[in-house]
Amino acid sequence: MRRLVSLVLSAAAAAVVSSGAALSADAVKIGVVLSLSGPAAVFGIPERDAIQVVMEKLKADGKLKRPIELVIYDDKTNPTEATRMVTQAISNDKVVAIIGPGTGGNILAAGPLALRMQVPLLGPAGTMAITDRKNEFYPWVFRVAPSDRVDVKVILEDMAKSKAKKIGVFFQEDAYGKTGVDFAKEIGATLGMEVVETVSAPYAATDLTAQATRLRNAGVEAVFLQVSISSLGASFVKAANQVGLTAPAYANAGLAQRSFAESVGSEVDGLRVLSIGNLPYDPSEGEAELARLLKQAGKVPQGWGELVGSNGLMTVVAAVNAQGDKEITGVTMRDTIEGLCGYPAYARGKPCFSKDSHDGWAEDSLVITELRNKELKTRR
Amino acid sequence: MYVLTEYIVRGIQAGSIYGLLALPMSLLFATAGTIDFAVGAYALLAAAVATIIAGPLGIAVAIAAAVTAAAGMGVIFLVLTRIGTKDHIVFALASFGLAVAIASFILWQFGTQAFVRASFSQFWSLGGIRISPQGVINLGLGALVTLLLYLLLYWTDLGRMMRAAAANPSGAELAGIPVARIQFGTYLAGGLLGGLAGIMILYSAGLDFTASLSLTLGGFGAAIIFGITSPLRCLLGGIAMGVAEALAAGYTSGMVTAMVPFLFVLIVLSASNLGGAMAGDRP
Repeated sequence: MRRLVSLVLSAAAAAVVSSGAALSADAVKIGVVLSLSGPAAVFGIPERDAIQVVMEKLKADGKLKRPIELVIYDDKTNPTEATRMVTQAISNDKVVAIIGPGTGGNILAAGPLALRMQVPLLGPAGTMAITDRKNEFYPWVFRVAPSDRVDVKVILEDMAKSKAKKIGVFFQEDAYGKTGVDFAKEIGATLGMEVVETVSAPYAATDLTAQATRLRNAGVEAVFLQVSISSLGASFVKAANQVGLTAPAYANAGLAQRSFAESVGSEVDGLRVLSIGNLPYDPSEGEAELARLLKQAGKVPQGWGELVGSNGLMTVVAAVNAQGDKEITGVTMRDTIEGLCGYPAYARGKPCFSKDSHDGWAEDSLVITELRNKELKTRR
Repeated sequence: MYVLTEYIVRGIQAGSIYGLLALPMSLLFATAGTIDFAVGAYALLAAAVATIIAGPLGIAVAIAAAVTAAAGMGVIFLVLTRIGTKDHIVFALASFGLAVAIASFILWQFGTQAFVRASFSQFWSLGGIRISPQGVINLGLGALVTLLLYLLLYWTDLGRMMRAAAANPSGAELAGIPVARIQFGTYLAGGLLGGLAGIMILYSAGLDFTASLSLTLGGFGAAIIFGITSPLRCLLGGIAMGVAEALAAGYTSGMVTAMVPFLFVLIVLSASNLGGAMAGDRP
């Protein structure tokens, strides 16, 4: 009797296991390697939140032609950790594409891995170098946000409208800051503006009045802040106010975060901040829909991190759906993404990839906002 | 000349915060012969709490939180001495661990937001240089606390007991001085001063969850350049570092600016035998 029971049970178990295996043989595994801790967590956490809520919505609406399974890792804003997580996702979880890693530095570190293991990375970062054609791993890295160069161009074009000729730049001491300065000098020259003074500070600077004084003394007519750390941006604007630096200031997209807008006082009103869309304060139709999904899941929209994260997921979904029932590998994902142009996404602008351009989003997804009463209002 | 003066004035204002962070270092070194690397974390904790809770109540709760965190370090210290730890570096490393734990807690509870509050919108003018009242308050507080600490250490019985506890712990015990309690109390004072520094930074430049180690190192640099055992030297060390930073920001560019304060510390320590004060008379 006992033997019969155990035979029946094991047969049943085998049936369950094999049917389960048959189901997940169809599921496409996608890795998500984002900065969920460390300095870039301010972007990574909203990116991941958006990916999760959009995934739920797509499943609920039956928009997925095949089941997609997400495997989420934290790269801790650390390149070594990023490469480790990418390796793990590809080797252990057998993902066919990765949304991430979280920062430019991490993407550059993981690029050679993507090349070797033939799995595309969809990077939510603006750092120019990730889609540089000279990279050996160029075919395997895509950008799902506007690049830093496009950001700086849109800012400087707005500055040029107010006839400013002498610009000052305040930048944070890292690669993001440094490349911003280089772009400002280059693009400014084409628009008839000159960068007459640059000042910088490390992330945790306790006082920026000396830097603000230096820009003021140089007689700048507009100030460009290449800063992604909220507290550094807030410190600088406070310092500028204190030392009497009254030139209009433009901040790059790193400060287009709710945490920045809400932490500064009214002396900062009038600061112009570039933003990828305006999810928290002035959303377009698609952005409003994403905001609704986030709020339903109990998340408060923070800035553009959610949009960029959703861009990554929508690109993956479009690529998976486009391949129908065929076998999906890293190579087929990469080839399909290169052929995508104009597919559903929550961010504004038309996403478009090609073999020659791995930058999917451009100027049409950016807006210049102005800080007023702790909110970032879109400037018309 | 005027430009130079302005940078120096800015540096003095900013340096008072380094001085305030350096004072607990000096106090603890004088009493227990070790360093509390969590001072920056106490400052961060106080700033975070005072961002969440507004007004004077927020400040009070913030300082209480910083003192509580320091009490945690004090308890760790007592436990380590009870189990027989003699090497002072162990306490320093333990405080480092606590600092990391506090910073992680801040990230977890408060996220990546900036901790900054608006202070004064009116500015005073000192010979054409705009001074913020907040900066004057910072400097005033730094000077006041330095004075109080100096009086405590050199003019009161408690201060004499504290210095005795550092110079010769076993002798002090034998003389009836409650060494362990004094050292614990010194950790609490460190929490109080660190918390105060955090509030000052909150109302000045602001900070975020990444700041704790930089603040500690800034305070440590300020403490050692002119001699860690005297409160006045700590304040002056802080001001010197602030001025060095301001001059570097004003006259150098790019990555050099961040290096200068620490280069300054290196140069001062190598060039003078004031740095010898750091070694104390530990065997």
